Amino acid sequence: MQQSRLETLFTKIRHFENVHPETLERIAKVALPRHFDAGQVIYIEGEPAEKVYLLEQGWVKATRISQDGREQAMMFFSAGEIFGDIAIFTEREYPGTVVALENVDLWVIPANEFMALVGQDSGLAMAIIRRLSERVLHYIGLVEDLSLRNVEARLANTLLKHAEICDGQLVVPRRLWTTFDEMAIRLGTVRDVLSRALKTLEADSLLKVEKHQITILDPKGLARRGSL
Amino acid sequence: MTHGLNKPPDKTIRCEILSRFASDERIAGLNLHVGVVNGIAHLAGVVSSIEIRTTAADLVRDIQGVRGVVNRIEAPGAPSPGRSIILNLEDDKEKTDYE
Repeated sequence: MQQSRLETLFTKIRHFENVHPETLERIAKVALPRHFDAGQVIYIEGEPAEKVYLLEQGWVKATRISQDGREQAMMFFSAGEIFGDIAIFTEREYPGTVVALENVDLWVIPANEFMALVGQDSGLAMAIIRRLSERVLHYIGLVEDLSLRNVEARLANTLLKHAEICDGQLVVPRRLWTTFDEMAIRLGTVRDVLSRALKTLEADSLLKVEKHQITILDPKGLARRGSL
Repeated sequence: MTHGLNKPPDKTIRCEILSRFASDERIAGLNLHVGVVNGIAHLAGVVSSIEIRTTAADLVRDIQGVRGVVNRIEAPGAPSPGRSIILNLEDDKEKTDYE
């Protein structure tokens, strides 16, 4: 049962297609399943990094408290993602806190086992390099967003990035955990400022805020706001 | 990582927190998670009462170099550990500013 769950998970992890089957078997032997309820802490920033996590189901957020005491979202991870790896490769403490946003199932791999496997299998090493490179690009975008764009522009870009077509309309579905507070953390602001930005965009007929989704009425106009 | 001249490194602060927890019979044995970054102490884990949760944070607050405490310890009646955090570090500045 556990073996088949892991086999399914391995197929979902990006860049794992060239990982050697023996490596996957070894991971399956040392990985331990864990469950976290929504809201529970998986690890906290500043804690020694001793484990790597493979996310099987659910969403988690990685955040960090800034020097001035405000929480800033760094990443959101969904099924098929690996996290906790940056800290083990740099041999430092976890740089952020990871919290389950939904009920989450994941697999825990001891850091020393994972490091040994990366050293033995160039396919796994390349998969990790690709993932870390993608992470670097994500953080470059985050730095650009936080330093060069105002909240309204960040909001416009985030909505466009997560929009999908549903019944002929461009909508951003709202998950249970996408509260105003969570959206504010994601955009590096506070809920009052976020609320004002949403109202401004709605007043300008660029979008419509509904209970379970945000409908984008004018994608081009919203994109222009995102470039400001 | 350090967070200013003459301030203890985060690792030293973390050791002091762990030492205090180990010597307090209410906290020792609870296996609380402890992390420190930039002088901000982060606590997580599960305890049986909100009083124990508060005690853990109180033990940490007056340690030299601690600028603030993010208390994500789970306890009956406590706020969600995953809630959004905005620390009021200005209030702690006087207390922990020992340069």
